[in-house]
Amino acid sequence: MSETTFMGVERDKIDWKPTIDYTKCDYCMECVKFCPHKVFEVRETEDIKLIIRNANNCVVFCRACSKICGPDALSFPDKNATTQRIREIRKEMESNG
Amino acid sequence: MVENYAILPCNGLDKCAGVISREIAIKLCENPKNEIICPVYYRVAEAKYNKIAGKHPLLVIDGCQTRCASKLSAEKNLKISRQVTITEEAKKHKIELGSNLRLLENENALIEIIQNGLNNTEVKVTQSSVETSFLVKFEYETYQNGKFIFRVPKNQEVWFNENDCWVYVIGNRARIGVTDFVQQNLSDILYFTPPEIGAEIDQFGEVGEIESSKSVFELISPVSGKVISINETIVQQPELINENPYESGWIAELELTDFESDKELLIGFDKYFEIVKNKVKDVNG
Repeated sequence: MSETTFMGVERDKIDWKPTIDYTKCDYCMECVKFCPHKVFEVRETEDIKLIIRNANNCVVFCRACSKICGPDALSFPDKNATTQRIREIRKEMESNG
Repeated sequence: MVENYAILPCNGLDKCAGVISREIAIKLCENPKNEIICPVYYRVAEAKYNKIAGKHPLLVIDGCQTRCASKLSAEKNLKISRQVTITEEAKKHKIELGSNLRLLENENALIEIIQNGLNNTEVKVTQSSVETSFLVKFEYETYQNGKFIFRVPKNQEVWFNENDCWVYVIGNRARIGVTDFVQQNLSDILYFTPPEIGAEIDQFGEVGEIESSKSVFELISPVSGKVISINETIVQQPELINENPYESGWIAELELTDFESDKELLIGFDKYFEIVKNKVKDVNG
């Protein structure tokens, strides 16, 4: 499966997922409809009706859901910091053989 | 403005950004050569506005990321020549918009910036300055899954990131684009938002957007560098990305900053071909 690693690094080691700002989110659920990777989960009966369910399904560096978010409630980690971290992990992997 | 426009603002009156879009459209139409398209009246007066849209290139002013005006133009089969999103412009110029629907100091400052930008800035689109250096035909390996055919160029100078974008490198210059996997998944591409000429792009930074009726795709640059040209043809004919995303549907050209370093996080044909086969299987079963 292509999703288990990204650039040879275990996906689990890469911190890349949307963060929901619940002060802005109006539960329109456009992000849920949009994301084909089932990153989000709707919880109709809970107070917080939207959560990040499958963070590792989120495509590293993709921020498309934040682009379609009307209330601008989704944010992502810094791309440069993430790239740097991936480089570091790859170096660690190389030096560990 | 370089051209006279048919201007379609989002006109959303329940959000500050919508009110700003309306105000900019009104100001631009103080030039009598520009004509406004009212998104509300468009629903019942289609012939009137189709005629206006047929006369001029279309400028779409979206308020927020919901992009109702862009969606309306797609619904009406209008080709977008230029598009701005108010909330994006506010972020770019570090202007915080209020929730008040009245236009105050910040909102008026942003209106002036956007209006001046549209009025005074030459459209900085150039054709490739090094067009002859880039091959126009690639050799491909093909993978078929059901009715979908995915091609991947085999040339050694072409590299990929795992975000399904390719880069073709010659010396310190590169041409970039999306792969067949992207265009097949998006289906009919309706418009392309190019990066700005002169923009400095980090590796994995955003280098434009393409959008279909199904989805929006942020182009994730395989390389770092300065944008030196964009493919002007696909601004007018984004369907070329569907027809051939590697040749006539290329996206932009960059002057490379540090390709040797970028290369560490790129993959060649063999690896990308395996990855794309797995992705296609995941999507199509």
